[in-house]
Amino acid sequence: MIQWSEQHLMMRDAVRRFIQDEIVPQIDEFEHGDTPPYAVLRKMFRSFGIDEMARERFHKQIDAEKRAAAGEAAATTGETRKAGGTAAADAMAMQMIPVIELCHYCPGMVTAMGVSVGLTSAAILSKGTTAQKERWALDLLTLEKVGAWAITEPGSGSDPFGAMKSTARRDGDGYILNGNKTFITNGPYADTIVFICRLDEGNPPAERKVLTFVLERGMPGFEQTRPVRKMGMHSSPTGDLFLSDVRVGKEHLLGETEAVTSRAGTKDTFSSERTGVAAMALGIVEQCLQVCVEYARTRVAFGRSIGEFQLIQLKLAKMEVARMNIQNLVFRQIELAAAGAKPTFAEASAVKLYSAQAAMDVCLEAVQLHGGNGYMAEYRVEQLCRDAKVLQIYGGTDEIQISQIARNLLAK
Amino acid sequence: MKILVTVKRVPDPESSIKVNPEGTGIVESGLKWVVNPFDEIAIEEALRIKEAQGDVEVVVVSVGVSESQEQLRTGLAMGADRAILVKADRPDTAAVAKILVKLVEKEQPTLVILGKQAIDDDSNEVGQMLAHLLGWPQATFISKLTFAGDKASVECIREVDGGMETIAFALPAIITADLRLNEPRYASLPGIMKARKKPMEEIDAASLGVDLTPRVRIKKMAPPPARTAGRKVESVDELINALQTEAKVM
Repeated sequence: MIQWSEQHLMMRDAVRRFIQDEIVPQIDEFEHGDTPPYAVLRKMFRSFGIDEMARERFHKQIDAEKRAAAGEAAATTGETRKAGGTAAADAMAMQMIPVIELCHYCPGMVTAMGVSVGLTSAAILSKGTTAQKERWALDLLTLEKVGAWAITEPGSGSDPFGAMKSTARRDGDGYILNGNKTFITNGPYADTIVFICRLDEGNPPAERKVLTFVLERGMPGFEQTRPVRKMGMHSSPTGDLFLSDVRVGKEHLLGETEAVTSRAGTKDTFSSERTGVAAMALGIVEQCLQVCVEYARTRVAFGRSIGEFQLIQLKLAKMEVARMNIQNLVFRQIELAAAGAKPTFAEASAVKLYSAQAAMDVCLEAVQLHGGNGYMAEYRVEQLCRDAKVLQIYGGTDEIQISQIARNLLAK
Repeated sequence: MKILVTVKRVPDPESSIKVNPEGTGIVESGLKWVVNPFDEIAIEEALRIKEAQGDVEVVVVSVGVSESQEQLRTGLAMGADRAILVKADRPDTAAVAKILVKLVEKEQPTLVILGKQAIDDDSNEVGQMLAHLLGWPQATFISKLTFAGDKASVECIREVDGGMETIAFALPAIITADLRLNEPRYASLPGIMKARKKPMEEIDAASLGVDLTPRVRIKKMAPPPARTAGRKVESVDELINALQTEAKVM
């Protein structure tokens, strides 16, 4: 893939219009007020039929699962689906285009949307029973309900399992859950929360099994804090979760068995989260470049437009190089989908490392190019700059990406 | 029922338009092209009729360059059933109306919906000419359309100078859409994917046996004169004098 297709551009233009009509006029409210992003995101899902598509796909998958469970072999029903192809590539592209476009203005919205529709529902879809998927996943996929995925704790970020203190204890045919989770995207507003903890059987913490539970808003003993203040991504509400003796039945344990290997599934989740960062970075870089080119053309200093100064030209040229590189990484994800393939974990890490760093560099230069205006909120680049910083931190810090890339290289 | 909706390829109203050095037209290279906004309203109205009445076929039609396919596909992505492109090189409004007559004769629609005007030339003529050539009833600048119970006639509210006019007439008919008729939908993801598989017929205008000789000649195109800067006046008397003698507004 070397360029967007006509369909892709049609989609892009439609989403662009939606953002201009529905988000840009209220952007200060989303970024500096207390208006959560869910209503406008739901409107976007409805306007573009994203919810309807998710519903159809979900029902197809559940029907297939039920038939398989009833002993009907997939082959006899003619359900041999081929992976990849144009449809898979288009699906990947259609997933990325709204992300790129939203990131021109509100990268936070992508975070809020991605954690709910992507991360949280993916966890339930990959490990849950059919009944659990029907109960929780569909409403997350359509954004009817807001999801949160809780792994990080006050004492454990990059080493989530090693230092994890949250616990589940067996209690009759259910469990009693305890623990604190922090930096939880959508935490303040989530209806459905995936909670990762360790099974305390009186054994040493390092030997404890990792289990995943689904919590619901309002459960006794379960507290969701108000949004906390943070550097950027203000359109994505972040909060803490506190669990004190939350009693859940076995139907809240994902897979309804203690035998599931939570850590393997988590790696898959990390991988798709990481490649998603490339699309976010592309949106941020495209926007920086666009406003910088405009500013370089129109801002006058020493009697000429600043675009005539070579130091400004260097900044613009480097931004364009970053844009081209990140766009190629995005195109590669679409190509991989077309081939029915996925990036390796190390590749996903490399994609995230490069894209996040490039976006941060571009944003800082965009602020610098705008001078004093760049430091002011009115020119928007300061917001993108604050937003971009987290790309180097969440979904695995740059340092973690580096170690995972290197570990893979050295293992060969 | 079949509804024919016209779709014109026009420059994006957001883009900056420059007149070419020869003064014969605008600079077209690098321009972004979109569906004429009034035509989007026309498409939306046809789709709402289809959704309300069920057995309705919506056919989008464009007269113009091959690239107009892109705008027709937007119509298909919004939900139209099929598209017809009549290839013609810069036809004037009379030629477009005559081409549409041929399509109406071929397709036999119950209703033809057009945007009240295209935002490029702002001619506001094709709907009226088409109604005249066909001898059909017409309602231009409509802001509301209601079908009678037997679906054989419609009632339209027109936005006219000084108020609203309600007129009712039997079908088939021509209507042209004004801004407040509806708010057009966005093309949805599934709609965009399906659009690729919907039929798009291409017809060469020359094959329709219509006289395409232009009746309108563009002699010169020029941008409006740049606004001159304002000035401060010393007194109210000077202001009144300037408004009377220079601005001639008093």
